[in-house]
Amino acid sequence: MAAASAAGPVGNVFPFRDARAAPDPVLEASPEAHGPLPVPLVLDNGSFQARAGWACPGPDPGPEPRLQFRAVCARGRGGARGGAGPQVGNALGSLEPLRWMLRSPFDRNVPVNLELQELLLDYSFQHLGVSSQGCVDHPIVLTEAVCNPLYSRQMMSELLFECYGIPKVAYGIDSLFSFYHNKPKNLISSGLIISSGYQCTHILPILDGRLDAKNCKRINLGGSQAAGYLQRLLQLKYPGHLAAITLSRMEEILHEHSYVAEDYVAELQKWRCPDYYENNVHKMQLPFSNKILGSTLSSEEKQERRQQQLRRLQELNARRREEKLQLDQERLDRLLCVQELLEDGQMDQFHKALIELNMDSPEELQSYIQKLSSAVEQAKQKILQAEVTLEVDVVDSKPETPDLEQLELTLEDVESINDFEPLFSEETPEVEKPVATVQPVFNLAAYHQLFVGTERIRAPEIIFQPSLIGEEQAGVAETLQYILDRYPKDVQDMLVQNVFLTGGNMMYPGVKGRVEKELLEMRPFQSSFKVQLASNPVLDAWYGARDWALDHLDDDEVWITRKEYEEKGGEYLKEHCASNIYVPIRLPKQASRFSDAQAPGKGSGASGGGAGEHA
Amino acid sequence: MEAMSENKMVPSDYSTGPMEKAAKPLPFKDPNFVHSGHGGAVAGKKNRTWKNLKQILASERALPWQLNDPNYFSIDAPPSFKPAKKYSDVSGLLANYTDPQSKLRFSTIEEFSYIRRLPSDVVTGYLALRKATSIVP
Repeated sequence: MAAASAAGPVGNVFPFRDARAAPDPVLEASPEAHGPLPVPLVLDNGSFQARAGWACPGPDPGPEPRLQFRAVCARGRGGARGGAGPQVGNALGSLEPLRWMLRSPFDRNVPVNLELQELLLDYSFQHLGVSSQGCVDHPIVLTEAVCNPLYSRQMMSELLFECYGIPKVAYGIDSLFSFYHNKPKNLISSGLIISSGYQCTHILPILDGRLDAKNCKRINLGGSQAAGYLQRLLQLKYPGHLAAITLSRMEEILHEHSYVAEDYVAELQKWRCPDYYENNVHKMQLPFSNKILGSTLSSEEKQERRQQQLRRLQELNARRREEKLQLDQERLDRLLCVQELLEDGQMDQFHKALIELNMDSPEELQSYIQKLSSAVEQAKQKILQAEVTLEVDVVDSKPETPDLEQLELTLEDVESINDFEPLFSEETPEVEKPVATVQPVFNLAAYHQLFVGTERIRAPEIIFQPSLIGEEQAGVAETLQYILDRYPKDVQDMLVQNVFLTGGNMMYPGVKGRVEKELLEMRPFQSSFKVQLASNPVLDAWYGARDWALDHLDDDEVWITRKEYEEKGGEYLKEHCASNIYVPIRLPKQASRFSDAQAPGKGSGASGGGAGEHA
Repeated sequence: MEAMSENKMVPSDYSTGPMEKAAKPLPFKDPNFVHSGHGGAVAGKKNRTWKNLKQILASERALPWQLNDPNYFSIDAPPSFKPAKKYSDVSGLLANYTDPQSKLRFSTIEEFSYIRRLPSDVVTGYLALRKATSIVP
């Protein structure tokens, strides 16, 4: 049903693709990978996607990274079953059924759970066709976060060297690799990189080819926050479709239907106009589902539902009446017994019984008996009546039923208002309060459509205005100004000549124009600036890392070898044109859980300075 | 250690190639590897979880950094100095008005009537989206 309605520009109705990832094949490593020297493996370890491949020297290095998969893993469905272990990335197929079981090694943009990271690395190595025994015998280029915490680098180095036995590793920043890829000739260059990823957005000034780390800034908003914002907006607008508005579909809307407005306020003014709205709203067609709340039931079905409720209430009442009747009957019998005592002349027992019953005189007893017997008679009558006819006045006596109906009606009202966008449609919705006789005029396809109007610009806007989502941090423009103000004027001019945009979250149409406009606002009158978007913002980091690896294969000053790892600890880093700045602080070596059992294996790593305490 | 090596054996299950059969550790790994970070500084049965980012940053703060050293928390962007623009919660247009009853922002009369008819959970949802839910009524 979804694709049957007019897809494309006519009526702006779009179906959801709901793509499933195909599982990756286990690739055979190509012959170049086993060249004379071990070929480096390039791994762009991102919080959204991990991309892995070989860096083959030769005339035509391979096109794309061999593997691109979501950096998540989850156990198979149905809890921890004995057989299937955790599945990774593309082997999971569609992510939505497993949404609550997905686990990622990342916390923001730093890998913290290295067991899951180990799974991801296992998956990458296995599917790339690593076949060396006992260790992974290839140098590895790995990306890390900007100003990666020392602890995290220590853990990562430990994983790579001790578990996989790699010969040497080089850490770098993905945006810097992307910069390297887009400007290969100008090795000594300066610029300002704005890199927006899945979890955060970085603004990195580069001076003379090296990162000026103390002036970097990071805004903790990225693609995942935009997707979450869009999801909550749509869920609040369409509470009836809560389950159908999934994060995967939100990502699809962001990737294909959203854009960044060059002038946000002016763009909003355009959206106020109903014609513009009609022409530019994107109606996402949800697949048909049977689970619809009240509003599409026909009036007969509604009546039947009401009658069912009435019947249920009547049964309840009848049961209650019978119980009460029984109790009354018993009490009546007891009182009659007491009265018989009086008639039989057993005064003492009679008086005792009266006191028990809390009555003063036989007359009171008499009147009570009379009242009770008349009540019993009435109850019997009512029961007979109820069994014969349908008592509608039950509704009146039970106050809950009318409220229930009214509540249903208000829910239906809200939904119909939601669907027909009262803000912009001219005609009032035809679904009035469904009185039993009026058949509501209803468009089933329209009920299953999500109207994405201003949300198209609101969701990507959060990196420019974090106040939309309640974040106190400054947006990209203000942070850019803050960073520029920390430099002298000539350096500012130099930096602004080379503004480079990269990262998956920068792929919205209109981002370049927006950044240019912001720069125009903040730079002095008639000064020049130049903004450039990466050629492939998503994959350029991997390409850059591969180019860098091929250029620096023989350069020993950039690779951290196993020996250096053991001497200087896991947090050691060698700086190069695309790396973090290394601050030589020694971390105490973390003790393993089975430190005494593993002493020979770990002892070599614990040499060197530092506190050296084993907790 | 037994738990770890079991973990390693299991992932090879999903490979469909003829080489790896079930219950065989991956050849390029060291089968006796134990993460030292697992359990943090306190070895033993108490701490089985990995540190999350907050904990890592808290312990990083305690290290002897110099004033100008770049580290993960010093490169956080500063809070904004400019006053935030107010947008309608419902439609995203510029909002000039706020509903005193529910504190939602709106820009047109139709939006106002829409807001007044919203159920309370949707109202709280919109406020939570802006992080404007207040504990004090």
